[in-house]
Amino acid sequence: MSPCKTVEFFYTLVPLKPWRGYLVRRHIENCPRCLASLASREEAGSLLVRERAVDSGSSLWTKVEATLLEGSNAEAAKSRASYPTDMRRWGWAAALAFLGVLLISFFFLKGFQSERVSADAVSVRFEFEYVRVGGQPADAVVYQPQGSDMIIVWAGKSPEVPN
Amino acid sequence: MDEQELIAGSLRGRMEDFRMIVEWYSAPAMALAMNMLGNRDDAEDACQELFIQVFQKLGSYDPNRSFKNWLYTILYRRCLDHLRKRRRRVEMVKKVSRETDLATPANPGLSRSLPSVLLEQLKAKERTALSLWANEGYTAREISEVLRCSASTARVYLFQARKKIKKILEQGHVSLQNG
Repeated sequence: MSPCKTVEFFYTLVPLKPWRGYLVRRHIENCPRCLASLASREEAGSLLVRERAVDSGSSLWTKVEATLLEGSNAEAAKSRASYPTDMRRWGWAAALAFLGVLLISFFFLKGFQSERVSADAVSVRFEFEYVRVGGQPADAVVYQPQGSDMIIVWAGKSPEVPN
Repeated sequence: MDEQELIAGSLRGRMEDFRMIVEWYSAPAMALAMNMLGNRDDAEDACQELFIQVFQKLGSYDPNRSFKNWLYTILYRRCLDHLRKRRRRVEMVKKVSRETDLATPANPGLSRSLPSVLLEQLKAKERTALSLWANEGYTAREISEVLRCSASTARVYLFQARKKIKKILEQGHVSLQNG
């Protein structure tokens, strides 16, 4: 078997590009017989589109320039539009934050008030409606320590009122 | 004015410098795009996208690298995108025609200016390697920079393309004239 046939055999046998590249570099590019089976630059060029056959410089530039200008105008318009949008966004954020602070303050104060009111209400009920000692209305003191759910009721006999 | 000065001017936003870059490289870029895509309309679209991308990405260009190779690498990727889109379009047309039982044209939306046998028998990478080698005189190493592969792989693409072209010419499928 001739060297060219051997190279062709191994080229077909192992379809790995590094191996094929090695065979092309080592043998095919230097072998006149193998080179004769490949198209020359002129032959290949005759089938391809050549640079000199193309004339598009100015027309292409017109399109490219138009697109670039359009893009830069759009970008400028976008940045112009984004400024008020950003400002508006910050304004909304500030307003929402202020509203949030107001709501939190309102509920906090309301909660504090209602706590006091409920404690007072309880103490009023105990003192005047339900607490009796020895069948007689008693003096009662209702005490709720601050920050606690515990309620202490202290009841004592009312001093007898002399008739 | 040399290439690097034009690039520096374009980076400073001088449109006149960028216009010169476009005019210098539009013909070779169009030739490469037409050899990859096979028709003028798609090639023009790809070149337009190429120069817009070049203008936008000029800041990331490494001056130690060949500007032409960098430009061709972007163009190669744009052309691959166009080929993918075209494949999807052809598949969709085929699917619709199967479902509606309509006859479809052989190559929808494609007015070719490259011998059809070249598009059918050579892969996109092979056409690119062949075009760079035959039109620009690129070596395997330079082709590998554009295709972003090893020199060995580029050598294989070029070898396969040249072998196929020789076979096509021997079989007399196309004349030696374009079109």
